Amino acid sequence: MNIKLELFGASRDFSNEGFINLNLKEKSTIRDLRTAINKFIDTDFEGNKSYKKMVNSSTFCSEKDEMVSDNYKILNNEKIAIIPPIGGG
Amino acid sequence: MLHARVVDIAKEQIELIKAEKFIASSKCGASIYFVGTVRDLNNDKKVIGMTYDSHDALVIKSFEEIYQSSIKKFNFDNSVVFIEHIKGQIKLGEISILIGVACKHRNQAYELSRFFIEEIKKKTPIWKKEHYEDGDSEWLEGNPIQKD
Repeated sequence: MNIKLELFGASRDFSNEGFINLNLKEKSTIRDLRTAINKFIDTDFEGNKSYKKMVNSSTFCSEKDEMVSDNYKILNNEKIAIIPPIGGG
Repeated sequence: MLHARVVDIAKEQIELIKAEKFIASSKCGASIYFVGTVRDLNNDKKVIGMTYDSHDALVIKSFEEIYQSSIKKFNFDNSVVFIEHIKGQIKLGEISILIGVACKHRNQAYELSRFFIEEIKKKTPIWKKEHYEDGDSEWLEGNPIQKD
């Protein structure tokens, strides 16, 4: 299934478009998505350790603007936002 | 009463006068304004500006949740809070965040203002990218978002 990952903060370095499209297995969870992003970093950014650290410290937000846990089951074509470590103010 | 907004610098600026108008109340005897601005030096690097990125819907939700938890925590009568945070690129000295608070008494206003900025730092999805004098720029590392 396809998902659109919306990028924020340091993850915007992944694409100039503000999102990346990823293909996951049916009934994938946020945990699977995290693995897929790490694979994307291996392929497109030579396994950049700083990016992986950021992804592994990130939380995720569903299309309904709710923070979701690693067990959350992603829907086909769902738009998920990555929430890297924050620092506003 | 709460006013919460993300202000896109491409369209407008954060203005103190809007906060003054919103929090003005004859029921309150104390007002505090916390103004965050971009400073010129960080980790020995000369900073010339900052880009703020924001998940707007979650930011507003976070401001509302912080306001609700402040009511539970302090239970101050008639308190009024105005919060605006910038998004986009701003220069040195420009305002990134404005928190205006009005309460019946000064100790309440100081406490509430401090509570808001500390909670925002921990719970509100906003990110900073520093721009340096040498043309380089860098996203600041930040801390994992805290949930209640």
